[in-house]
Amino acid sequence: MKTIDIFGYSFSAIRLRKLRAALTTLGVIIGIAAIVALLSITQGLQATITNSLQQGLATNTLIVTPGASALGSATSGGGSFGARDGGGNGGSFGLGGSSSSGSGFNLYVNYTDQIDSLSPDIVSSFAVIQRPGFVETNNFNNTVTIYGVDFSKYSQQYSKTFIAASGTIPLSPSDNQIVVGSRVNDPGQNGTLLFSSNDSVGIIWTNATTIPIINETYKAQVSGVLAKVGGFGIGGPSDDGVYIPITQAESFFGTTQCDTIIVQLKSSDNATITNVSKAITDHFDGQVSVISSTAVLSLLSSIFSTVQLFLGGIAAISLLVAGIGIMNIMIVSLIERTREIGILKALGMKSRTVLTIFLGESVIIGLIGAVAGIVLGWILANVTARVLGSGVFGGGGGFKITPLLTPEVLIGALAFGVGISVIFALYPAWRASKLKPVEALRYE
Amino acid sequence: MTTIVEAIDLKKTYMLGKVPVEALQGVNLKVETGDFVSILGPSGSGKSTMLNMIGALDKPTAGTMLIDGVDISKLTDNQLADLRKRIGFVFQFFNLIPRLTAKDNVELSMAIADMGKAERKKKAIELLETVGLKDRINHKPAELSGGQQQRVAIARALANSPKFLLLDEPTGNIDSKTASEVVALINKLNTEQNVSIIMVTHDQYLAREAKRTVQMFDGQIISDVVNQK
Repeated sequence: MKTIDIFGYSFSAIRLRKLRAALTTLGVIIGIAAIVALLSITQGLQATITNSLQQGLATNTLIVTPGASALGSATSGGGSFGARDGGGNGGSFGLGGSSSSGSGFNLYVNYTDQIDSLSPDIVSSFAVIQRPGFVETNNFNNTVTIYGVDFSKYSQQYSKTFIAASGTIPLSPSDNQIVVGSRVNDPGQNGTLLFSSNDSVGIIWTNATTIPIINETYKAQVSGVLAKVGGFGIGGPSDDGVYIPITQAESFFGTTQCDTIIVQLKSSDNATITNVSKAITDHFDGQVSVISSTAVLSLLSSIFSTVQLFLGGIAAISLLVAGIGIMNIMIVSLIERTREIGILKALGMKSRTVLTIFLGESVIIGLIGAVAGIVLGWILANVTARVLGSGVFGGGGGFKITPLLTPEVLIGALAFGVGISVIFALYPAWRASKLKPVEALRYE
Repeated sequence: MTTIVEAIDLKKTYMLGKVPVEALQGVNLKVETGDFVSILGPSGSGKSTMLNMIGALDKPTAGTMLIDGVDISKLTDNQLADLRKRIGFVFQFFNLIPRLTAKDNVELSMAIADMGKAERKKKAIELLETVGLKDRINHKPAELSGGQQQRVAIARALANSPKFLLLDEPTGNIDSKTASEVVALINKLNTEQNVSIIMVTHDQYLAREAKRTVQMFDGQIISDVVNQK
């Protein structure tokens, strides 16, 4: 029997039991949709985070923080990626505002001189002091993160994101000049600006090291408002950040202790990163962590692989259930059609053609289910991304995920859907093909 | 004249639970082209077993069954299937595929024999015209009477130009008036188109329509006579 005739016959059998076939297919659709939705969301999320990270953390940059636990500090050191509590965390992977880790070792602003001299591969380095604080205008009190940075070096390092949308970034600022992130000026993200450049605002920092606790405050002049950065604000300028000159930060916060030192390298090759990282770690007797974007990216990638495997696995279970549904329905169909199989065999149909007819039915169900599942999954992923992006979960405007449907996922989902359908149809199809014509014809 | 079916000392033993049942106990039979043979016998006489042997649906326990010169006991399942394409089977219960139209049912046996779409469509319509169902080609079995269904079944059996038609109680499930129409059709195929026919029945009046009646009892042939018309 010709292949096209076999498929035609399979299709006519499916059409006879439309509801049954539709319900069986629905199982495959749900399974595939779950896989596609979960994977395209996580891959989109990974791309967003990776992108944001690459924006904030150039590959030729190292971040030095106090504390010995190498990469662990990137994920466990107070606050998580994308956390917006307390006004966000732009400067360094959510490493907490008050810097000192358990070891008691601290970094100081003037350590940059020591670091600069460690290797000829280092272009320059600069310190960041960060504290949670408030910006006060006439009628609004806005939670922010205050960063003390060298404006000149910071704007050189983050030349794509530390850009003024209005006003200017003073490269040799006077003490009271500040630069603010876009959300500081527009907390609702709706165009209602709290102030314009050159306005005076109050900067407040709650000093908890004194008894009683006091609010330190000074009047600052807004020199520039940054363009919207978006993303998660990992390792670079943040929309919730208020940037003050490093010298002002030292006197305002009453400390020369810094949270991070950012080191710019001449090259981004692995040897340079490894050598300089080791030189810095050794110099501070292993009391600091040196993080490179390469290391963070590979860590992120491995985290996401695990997450994808886990989510994909859960979704795969639903497809397994669909497979069992197919098997169940095929066995029922086989029993119902015993006589028909007898007729086909009496007319001269070979056993393997009977097998192909039954497998053909499962291929059709698997194919329709997989294609519909991919479409549904893609729709689900986009709806979910939009819901997340709309700020329902407090993401504000910055939390944007664009679901990604890679060819691997697309082809994999298709193959998996059809594969599962065929595998679970093998046994019923084999049983159908093994029916003896005499007995099958006698079946009532 | 060539021999199309030849049974030589044919034996078949079934196990009915743990009891062996000797359904055929050494049957000898020869059918030649152009013949119209009826195999007559009460239930339990072994005529259904004989039908399965002639239809290449089952293999004998002992003895030889030659169909179109081929010993079926030496064939594999696939070869048996191929042989069945050369046999025009008509069943007692019509056994049409319910979801297919009359035309598609007739086409099905040709599709199984690898015939192309256009050719088999043309032939299916011709055959349905032959059996007098020109205006019923797109009806499904449920929309046809018993006699009409049986005529579709005969058209289907003729589709692959078989060596012979093998009919199992062809009038068993239809009323007597329709039955005589079906019998007339069978007779016409035999006399006008020289189609060889083997018919299995328990109805002695129907059996007498054939040119020759073979009577079976207890797994043996007890008489083989030419009918006087």
